[in-house]
Amino acid sequence: MDKEDNKIISLHNIAKIYQMGQEKVFAIRDISLDIYKNEYVAIMGPSGSGKSTLMNLIGCLDTPTFGKYYLNNQDVSNLDDNQLAKIRNKEIGFVFQTFNLLARATALKNVELPLIYAGISHSERIERAKKALESVGLGDRMNHKPNELSGGQRQRVAIARALVNNPSIILADEPTGNLDSKTGKEIMSLLNSLWNNGHTIVLVSHEEEIAKNAQRIIKLRDGLIEKEIINPNPLAYSN
Amino acid sequence: MKLSALIEILREVFDSLIANKLRSILSALGVVIGISFVILMGWALATLDLAFEKTLDIIGTDMIYVDKYDWSGGKSWKIIRQRKNITLRQAFELINRLQSAELAIPVSRKWMPNVKYKNEKFSGLITTGTTYEYALTPAGTINQGRFFSLFEDSYGMDVAVLGSKVAETMFPNDNPLGKIIKIENHNFVVIGVLDKKGVLFIDFIDNQIFIPLKSFISIYGEINRSIEIAIKSPRVEDLENVKSETIGLMREIRNLKPHQEDDFSINETEMFRSSIDNIATYIWSIGIGMTALSFIVGIIGIMNIMFVSVTERTKEIGIRKTVGAKKINILIQFIIEATLLCMIGAIVAFIICSIIIFIAAIVLQNIYPALDFVPKILPFKLFIISAVIAFIIGILAGIMPAIRAANLNPVDALRYEN
Ligand SMILES: Nc1ncnc2c1ncn2[C@@H]1O[C@H](COP(=O)(O)OP(=O)(O)OP(=O)(O)O)[C@@H](O)[C@H]1O
Ligand SMILES: [Mg+2]
Repeated sequence: MDKEDNKIISLHNIAKIYQMGQEKVFAIRDISLDIYKNEYVAIMGPSGSGKSTLMNLIGCLDTPTFGKYYLNNQDVSNLDDNQLAKIRNKEIGFVFQTFNLLARATALKNVELPLIYAGISHSERIERAKKALESVGLGDRMNHKPNELSGGQRQRVAIARALVNNPSIILADEPTGNLDSKTGKEIMSLLNSLWNNGHTIVLVSHEEEIAKNAQRIIKLRDGLIEKEIINPNPLAYSN
Repeated sequence: MKLSALIEILREVFDSLIANKLRSILSALGVVIGISFVILMGWALATLDLAFEKTLDIIGTDMIYVDKYDWSGGKSWKIIRQRKNITLRQAFELINRLQSAELAIPVSRKWMPNVKYKNEKFSGLITTGTTYEYALTPAGTINQGRFFSLFEDSYGMDVAVLGSKVAETMFPNDNPLGKIIKIENHNFVVIGVLDKKGVLFIDFIDNQIFIPLKSFISIYGEINRSIEIAIKSPRVEDLENVKSETIGLMREIRNLKPHQEDDFSINETEMFRSSIDNIATYIWSIGIGMTALSFIVGIIGIMNIMFVSVTERTKEIGIRKTVGAKKINILIQFIIEATLLCMIGAIVAFIICSIIIFIAAIVLQNIYPALDFVPKILPFKLFIISAVIAFIIGILAGIMPAIRAANLNPVDALRYEN
């Protein structure tokens, strides 16, 4: 198969500039980047280097100030809010450092959420959400609310939510940042297994060890790609 | 947006309202009060309508009443007082010459007569002299005994038929039939009691004692007395016909010149419509201001609480948008929430008003039995109206907060910490 056909993400000279009063903040200066199907990419860099901004752009939560972004060969750099919402719903699965679950909703309801906005019927929603929760090992916690779950379990719910609508890509921004190292390892091995099952994963971390699970490590500094490292030996951390 | 998504929104909105019970209830107070005004106003107007209909039933939509006096109150009292009485002779001339009418009956009344039963004097009554045909008018239906006959009528016999209120006050525990009462010291035998009629505007009619016109004239004389003529048209459609014939004859009988105004009135049910309309307008003008005021307070209250809710739930909105909620999803979620708050307010108002009205109707009836037609149960129509109003208020109050929520930027919203 042609490699170009497998290109999921293609960034061309992307920039993101925030206007803070009189001052301009160049969160992303000029980044070009391709990510392919079933790749496992880690983004590293010091605080403020633009990792989260880049993730938000890749995840269509935001649009670039300059540059072109092709997602599955579709130009998404100038879409309106509703079109972006639809793409996020279908193509992107988010995992955040702070879990970002609905506090009042059960694990099941949280996982159902993307399917609700996809307009999927109640019975199918329940079925798929249950399956996703089972796949992250939470089959017995479906009716618990986030405050009745441990940090690791909450992150599993978030991962189940990211998976449930079969997205093209899973974006994880510091998924282990709020977890102890043992739980962090468990979450990483869960992400690794998703990669093994064919998912495409982009991971943000400032920890070398965690980044070493990925095939390719991209280092950012001041909104630019500082260097790109091919990791010959991925999945090291979880073993 | 699909139905499943809408049901989901409803479910979540309910959760969120329950989570903020007290606050929600307080903010809906303005709506509760506003809707209560609407319901009470609706009830008062419906009651008025009923009263009007009952009045029409008694007066008869196919009847006109020729009289010196005017029911509508439209003419100045001074002019009316200067009118000459309608004499007995004029009344009978009209009755004899009228072609188009089915029935034409003379009626004369003496207010505050001297009436006694076993030496007890009764006040607040009216003696009404008329003919046997009065029993054929809607006001003359018999409840007990009979009306006087053509024979008793033409011989001016001393027989009396009591209005229901008269029977109640004079004979609270006795059968009135066959009893002898004294009218201006003349003995009369009670031979019948009429059905209860009285409503709001013509409650005097139950206070009448009916005697043959001949007997009436022999007691009270015909000087200084104006006769009313009750005229029934064969069909409602013929009423205008009857009316114009009556006016023509009356002008002739009263010797009016073409340039002179009528010196008598043709009274009919239509005239009650204007007094009903006046009362209705009065209810509206008081009610509408108070209603509008409480709705403004209600809208502001709910809008305010919705803005607070949007701010508190910024993160939730961010999460929903992140996983694919469109603007319309968020917009509808918050509008439904505001609408539901108003609907709950409407239901509360409806329950409160139902209780108030139930009690009020019972109390009113006890004080004033003629009001027994006042509805104790709110008409379902009012429930629908209040629900629709609540719905509109909800949308008005919810739209701005909902737009703010829908326009939140997902990145900023996600970053928000309470
Ligand atoms: N909404 C915003 N408005 C203004 N400036 C912003 C905004 N978001 C990010 N920035 C700025 O852009 C730069 C990059 O921020 P970003 O959050 O991408 O960094 P990061 O690499 O994720 O850092 P960290 O490791 O601390 O999460 C920072 O200087 C930040 O202050
Ligand atoms: Mg970050």
